[in-house]
Amino acid sequence: MEEKEIRIGVFICHCGTNIGGSVDVPAVVEYAKHLPNVVHAERNLYTCADDGLTAIKNAIKQHKLNRVIVASCTPRTHEPLFRSTCEEAGLNKYLFEFVNIREHCSWVHMKDTEGATEKTKELVRMGVARATLLEPQEEMKIDVEQSAMVIGGGIAGITAAKTLANQGFDVYLVEKEAVLGGMLRNLYRLFPTGEDSLDSLQPSIAAVEGHEKIKVFSSCELKEVKGYIGNFDVTLLREGKEVNFKVGTIIVATGAMEFEPKGHYGYGKYDHVITQMQLEKLLKDGQLKKSDSVVMIQCVGAKGEEVSYCSRICCMVAIKNAMLIKEINPDADIHILHNDIQAYGAEYEELYNKAREMGIRFIKYTPESPPCVTMDGEKLKVEVYNELFGEQFMLGTDLVVLSTPLVQHQGGVEISKLLRVPLGKDKFFFEAHVKLRPVDFATDGIFLCGTAHGPAEVAESVSQALAAASGAGIPLSRGFVQIEAISVKVDLEACIGCGFCVEMCPYQALDMVDGKLEIIEALCKGCGTCVATCPTGALEQRHYQNNQIISQIKSIFHPVIE
Amino acid sequence: MKEFDPKIVAFCCNWCSYAGADLAGVSRMQYPPNVRIIKVMCSGRIDPLFVLMSFLEGADAVLVTGCHIGDCHYIDANHKTKNRFEFLKEMIAELGIGEERLRLEWISATEGEKFADMVKETVEKIKKMGPSPLSPKVMQ
Amino acid sequence: MVDDVLVIGGGVAGIQASIDLAGRGLKVYLVERFPSIGGKMAQLDKTFPTGDCSICILAPKMMECFSHENIDVLTHAEVKGVSGNAGDFRVKILKKPRYVDEEKCTGCGDCVSACPYINLPDEFDMALRSRGNIFIPFLQAVPRVVMVDREHCVKCGNCQVICDAGAIDLYQKPEEIEIHVGAIIVACGFDSFDPSGIKEYGYGRYKNVITALEYERLVCASGPTGGHLDRPSDKKTPNSIAFIQCVGSRDVNHNPYCSSVCCMHATKEAILAKEHYPSMENYIFYTDMRAFGKGFQEYVDRAKNEYEVRYIRSKPGEITEDKETKNPVIWYDDTVTRQVKRLEVGLVVLCTALVPSKGIKELADVLGVELDKNRFFKIADPLYAPLDSSREGILVCGYCQGPKDIPEAVTQAKGAAARAAEVLACLGA
Repeated sequence: MEEKEIRIGVFICHCGTNIGGSVDVPAVVEYAKHLPNVVHAERNLYTCADDGLTAIKNAIKQHKLNRVIVASCTPRTHEPLFRSTCEEAGLNKYLFEFVNIREHCSWVHMKDTEGATEKTKELVRMGVARATLLEPQEEMKIDVEQSAMVIGGGIAGITAAKTLANQGFDVYLVEKEAVLGGMLRNLYRLFPTGEDSLDSLQPSIAAVEGHEKIKVFSSCELKEVKGYIGNFDVTLLREGKEVNFKVGTIIVATGAMEFEPKGHYGYGKYDHVITQMQLEKLLKDGQLKKSDSVVMIQCVGAKGEEVSYCSRICCMVAIKNAMLIKEINPDADIHILHNDIQAYGAEYEELYNKAREMGIRFIKYTPESPPCVTMDGEKLKVEVYNELFGEQFMLGTDLVVLSTPLVQHQGGVEISKLLRVPLGKDKFFFEAHVKLRPVDFATDGIFLCGTAHGPAEVAESVSQALAAASGAGIPLSRGFVQIEAISVKVDLEACIGCGFCVEMCPYQALDMVDGKLEIIEALCKGCGTCVATCPTGALEQRHYQNNQIISQIKSIFHPVIE
Repeated sequence: MKEFDPKIVAFCCNWCSYAGADLAGVSRMQYPPNVRIIKVMCSGRIDPLFVLMSFLEGADAVLVTGCHIGDCHYIDANHKTKNRFEFLKEMIAELGIGEERLRLEWISATEGEKFADMVKETVEKIKKMGPSPLSPKVMQ
Repeated sequence: MVDDVLVIGGGVAGIQASIDLAGRGLKVYLVERFPSIGGKMAQLDKTFPTGDCSICILAPKMMECFSHENIDVLTHAEVKGVSGNAGDFRVKILKKPRYVDEEKCTGCGDCVSACPYINLPDEFDMALRSRGNIFIPFLQAVPRVVMVDREHCVKCGNCQVICDAGAIDLYQKPEEIEIHVGAIIVACGFDSFDPSGIKEYGYGRYKNVITALEYERLVCASGPTGGHLDRPSDKKTPNSIAFIQCVGSRDVNHNPYCSSVCCMHATKEAILAKEHYPSMENYIFYTDMRAFGKGFQEYVDRAKNEYEVRYIRSKPGEITEDKETKNPVIWYDDTVTRQVKRLEVGLVVLCTALVPSKGIKELADVLGVELDKNRFFKIADPLYAPLDSSREGILVCGYCQGPKDIPEAVTQAKGAAARAAEVLACLGA
């Protein structure tokens, strides 16, 4: 390897007060200046801002930097930006090193400036140790299979499939039930159009089923997904038989289910205590017995111990259904007992006001003193403490409807394991970034939409489905993806042909041919498990080399200051 | 005398435990500043040599972390981590370093709290145990 | 038939839509009325419920968008005319003069300090700071190019003398550009409602009654006070803050709708105050606590339990001012004891309604699309085509089509990009 002078530039970010508030940034800059091979160190209020990036580019030229270190936030969000900044200044992006001093330091040691500053110095020192040994890398381009798989045939899945297919891509739509439509099949009429749910859905179902670009696999179960962005190998089970195909990207639209309020408010004990979903069914089938009085209870199981979140849509479902009951029986006496009405946005607020004008009564209860449902002879009796009036109310009623949250179902949990994508604390699928990557997974090539992401109404699910289709459509339109240069390589002279590594590889990327190790680079995903097994050090992982990691370890314990 | 301030090396995988450490930060969970994170793509990359090297250089504890079994981004590479860990644990015990100083923890991207708790517990425990027998503080 | 796309509005939604379209290889024109892209999100300090620094997560997107080879970013520009149909729109864009050559300006800022007149209210910092006649819109502005406020400029020429790049051109003329696109995405965002009309709250009369957006700039490290919560009357940190919800929202006299994000941003702002100043007392006056998004309810629970934020279910009737201390005094009905109570605090933050952006009517007329009764863009089918406007080939996303938070705006922006690609593909077929 050519011996070239290592010239490192270090850029330390204040991140406003996020870092600067608990780390003495100027002291760290001073410290960094004296570390080996560091020829330039500076600090920026925001290194990621335009002036910070310009400073990096200028310094690369002015100080002839051949390594750049930014000490700021997490590489998981900002590494691409700094890498491309380096590239713009003619520096190979693998010569950039990121040091996380925010998530891993200033934010977790907010009350310990001294400790946080010392730690930051060491983290920068580790970065310098690693950067010194970094090597430039070239990335490989991989062709993308021109098709996508959509898992789940509810409104989200249908929309995503249709949009992708209309753009000319082949779509495999997989649904575990015999028919498409998902949860909307079971609903009565929808807000705000008042259309019958299933009727309104039929054109979309027909469009998907008749689309030449879409293959619908209903009554199918996903068995296995292997591979990576651009080249996923999918195995389905249909009537016990395996079906195989390849896709470039995947959209998860597996939906959610209604929480069953066992043991709440006499559910399961009294016949006339039902859920909103059961009410929808009764309305749909015209089976709702004439009810002169109805009490709906909100947040049953939600915003509490069983489910900590607010399920977003239940208030509006309750209001909509209350109004539909009023349509059938204008004299019906309807109370909605709630813990804050979630009538967000323009149309919902209007509907809420309209419901009040129609005479539907809203009573706010507090979670500390929830309503109580008992049987009083033939009738149900609901007691509730009305916070506003400061009085206990007694409501005799024919029907109690419980509004329960949407929750993840077992199928979703299984899909999460199968695709190795995470679920959050709320058990819904967990996106790559709550704010800016709401429909992406951290795993490239897999996207998320609909109630699999969390409770959502129809329009929100459709918007998310379109968004997921946008994400899934980008690699398909480009036709290729660039693969990070973190694959393994072998030094055949040092390799003794023991073959331990071949067994280790989860992707069969290694093979022993005539006693010689061969690596299929396109299959290597860069986990490095084989490298850790190699007894002779013949295997090496690009960008995560043994010497790079070891020098990081050593630098923790050796404060080398010139 | 200055209070013993342990040095702890944590190996984190890119997909789960590193993201878990990020989430601890995002959630502003406070823990003591004794841990130094080294990021690898997968816990399967953690060569036993790295762990031994850490102890030889003076680490008072080493944390090996990765995705939960079944959640590994690389199919089942963390099974290998688990196997290696068993072997390492025995070795550390035999070397007299004290097997309590080596800890394996599966931490998902959503378990910021678990990461913070792991650090807090380890720092507390190691402070009670004192420096590693291989630490320069002891060797001198 | 062309498959270039025009995106109107350079906030987070417009930026995301542009990036998604450009990623597919489509050519995008992004037109922004202000001199920098970034929109309202650039003005926020942190974002709920994760506490991510807003500009930190947005800045990389702004840069990615601006430097993308498939995206032409036109700042300080407005759409003036649209003719034709989906697949074949002719659009006239007026590029207003910024009196600076964008190609030559390096954003060094030498001219900014050379300008002798620095007494104009800085728009980005909500007039909490003064700026000169020549200025950079804000620290992280993209493009990082200065601009001249010609309305107030006396043409002393100091800036021209100091500029080594020779970038300043005080006689720059407006420029009309005509482009040809197949689809249009509108993401022109929102404005903050001006609460001066709600006399009983005293905004404009009492110095220590401010709006939520002003508060964001006050707590932001790159804001006018460097992140110190200096209240306007005496530049001192207050001991207590009250946040008042639904100011101009859910109010038939102003805006009947719920602005959807205020309960959460008040919660966030209260948490920020507590993080900056551990002894701060925070009160939130609310009507219904709307914490309906992912992780929101848990965030509110944390605010209550860990950050000791006091939530009071009441809509204050009036705010008065203590003449001596300049402390605002809130008069409200306590719904629990049913008594009128008073609460004196150091600072009041009005969480005002968010309203359709200024000029939306003119833009709708130019585009030939309809608005709904709240003056948001009207949607073709509120269930199954939530991003299509009333005119084919024109998509609408983000707050300009109804209240929503950042992830929802980003989701819609990506969705609109997919819809635009779909519309173009179907027309081309």
